[in-house]
Amino acid sequence: MHSQIVDFLNKNVPGCNPVINAPVAVVGDQSITVAAVNILEVCRALRSSPEFAFNVLQVITGTDYPDRIELSYILASYSKNLELILKTNLPRGDKNNLSKINSVVSVWSAANFQERETYDMIGVDFVGHPDFRRILCPYDWDGHPLRKDYVVQEKYLDMVVNPPAKNNTDDQMFGKRLKEELGDPKRVSASWKDNTAGADAAEAKDGE
Amino acid sequence: MSTHNENADKIILGDQEVLKSELLTLNMGPQHPATHGVLRVEIKTDSEIVVDAIPHLGYLHRCFEKHAENLDYRGVIPFVDRMDYLAAMSMEWGYALTVEKMLGTEVPKRAEYVRVLVAELQRIASHLVFFGTYGIDLGAFTVFLYCFEDREEILRLFEELSGARMLYNYIWIGGVWNDINDSQLNRVKAFCDRFEGELHKYHTLVGENKIFIGRTANVGIISEKMAFDFGATGPILRASGVKWDLRKNRPYSIYDKFDFDIPVGVGEKGTVGDCWDRYHVRVLEMFESIKIIRQVLDGIEEGPVMGKVPKIIKVPAGEIYMRTECPRGELGYHLISDGGKTPYRLKVKSSCFTHVSILPAIAPGLMIADMVASIGSIDIVLGEVDR
Repeated sequence: MHSQIVDFLNKNVPGCNPVINAPVAVVGDQSITVAAVNILEVCRALRSSPEFAFNVLQVITGTDYPDRIELSYILASYSKNLELILKTNLPRGDKNNLSKINSVVSVWSAANFQERETYDMIGVDFVGHPDFRRILCPYDWDGHPLRKDYVVQEKYLDMVVNPPAKNNTDDQMFGKRLKEELGDPKRVSASWKDNTAGADAAEAKDGE
Repeated sequence: MSTHNENADKIILGDQEVLKSELLTLNMGPQHPATHGVLRVEIKTDSEIVVDAIPHLGYLHRCFEKHAENLDYRGVIPFVDRMDYLAAMSMEWGYALTVEKMLGTEVPKRAEYVRVLVAELQRIASHLVFFGTYGIDLGAFTVFLYCFEDREEILRLFEELSGARMLYNYIWIGGVWNDINDSQLNRVKAFCDRFEGELHKYHTLVGENKIFIGRTANVGIISEKMAFDFGATGPILRASGVKWDLRKNRPYSIYDKFDFDIPVGVGEKGTVGDCWDRYHVRVLEMFESIKIIRQVLDGIEEGPVMGKVPKIIKVPAGEIYMRTECPRGELGYHLISDGGKTPYRLKVKSSCFTHVSILPAIAPGLMIADMVASIGSIDIVLGEVDR
C-alpha cells in the first residue's frame, strides 16, 4: 500500500519527496515522510483521492529528537479500511522562534484541537489556524512540556510550581522501609495468597 | 439551526423568527453537574439561544505522556487506568496490545477470553453510568439508582478479580494478573440472564418516555459528514448512521470468533445522529455485549493466564499505532521506541478529546437546556480529555 501512495503523491504533488520509512526491526508500522512545505497539498490530495479516501484524521502528534521535530499525521480511511502514518520533519526552533508549518484545519476540522495540542505540548507554529491558542496548559504557561529539554517554570502567577512541602514522599519512604524490613520485596509484591509458599512460588506466578 | 448576524435585529430559530437581544456570556462549569467532570464551556447566548460555545480544557491535565517517558513499560499501566476512569479495563487492554504487538508476545487463549469478558463487562458498566447520568441531566432521577445497582454488581466482580473497584491494573503485558474462577463465571452468567430483562425495562422507562423523546429527538444533530470531518468514533459515529466497529472491521485479539451486530442510528424518533440516537445506540450495544459475554462463557478454555514475558521489557526500536474500540470510541496508542527500557514517546489518541471539539459546531442554535442534553449524549470523561 505504501509504495502505491508514494507513486500517487509523486504524480499529484510534485516536489513533496515522499520516502517510505521501513520499520527498524521486523515489527511495527511503516510510515511515509514528506517535505514539510507541501503538507497541506499532500493532505488535500490524500483526502480527495478516490483510491485511498483518507476521510478521517485520527491524530497529529510530535516527537522531539535532538536535531529535529518529527510530526506524525495519522490518517484513516473508513471506506477503504486503511491506516497511514504520514510524517514530516521540522527544525527544532527555539522559544521565541518556533518552526512553522501550514495548518490542515481546512482539510479536516479534527485538526483544530490536534494542532492546538501539538503547539501546546511540542511547540510548533501552525500557520493559518483559525483559533491558535494553548489547549491543555494555561494560556500564559511558559515552555512546551513534551520537549526533552523542558524544565518546569519555577513560578507561575507568583505561585511556586511544585513546592517541596507538597511532594508526596510517603510512597518513596514506604518502598524504602519495605526493602529494609523485608529484604526481598518480591516476597510480598506478587500476591498475598502465595505469601506462605515463599519467594519461589511468587516468582513462578509472575510467569517470568 | 439559527444564524447569527451582528447587525440584524432578528434571528431565525428553527422555522421561527425571533427578536435578537444583547449577547450574554455564561460560564458552564468548571464545576457543573452536567459537564461530568471539570470542563468549562464559555457560552455566548442571545436570550435562551446559544450563539457560540467555547470549551476550555485542561483542568485535569497531568501530562501523562511525559510521565510515560520516565516509566518502564509495566509501570505505565496504572497511569493508563487514570485516563478514562470509568472504563479502565479497556484503556489497559489497548496499551497491553500495543506493547505485545511490538514484543511479539503470544497471549494464552484463556487470558484472551478473560480480557474480552472483562472488557465487555466494562463496556456495560460504562454505558450504565452514561444511562444513569444522562437521565439525571434531563431530570429523570430514578433510573440512575437502577443503573448504579447493576453497575455495582460488575464492580464487585472486578474488585474480587483485581483488588480495586475502578483503577484495576488487571490486564498486564502478556496476559492478565489473576485467573477467574468458576463461581465467578457462574455469577457473570446469572448477571447476564437477569440484566437482559432489566435493560429492556430501563429502556421502556426512559427511552420510550414522551418527555425524554421531546428533550432528545432532533437535538444536537451530528451528520455523517460532520462525524467524519471531526474524526468522531465509537457510538457517536455509529449513531450518525455509519456501520463501523473496530471489533468487526479490523478485528484484534479474538473478536473475529464472536458473532454480534453493530447497532447504528436510524433516526427512529427524529433525525439520524440526534441525541436520542446516541442514547439508543449505547443501549443496543449493551445487548450486543451480553451476546459476546455469553459466547465467552461457552468458549472459555482452561490454561494459564500469563504468557512468557521477559523480566525487563525492552521493546525493539520502531513505532506502532494501535487502536481499539473502547466504550467511548476508538482509543489509539502511538508508541515510538528507541530500544530502551522506557517508551521514547507514547501518544494517546483520546476519543473524548476529539468529541469535545464537535461541541462548538453543534452548539449554535441550541437552547441552553439542549446544550446540557448534547454534552451528556456525547458522554465525555474529562480524565481522558485532559490526560
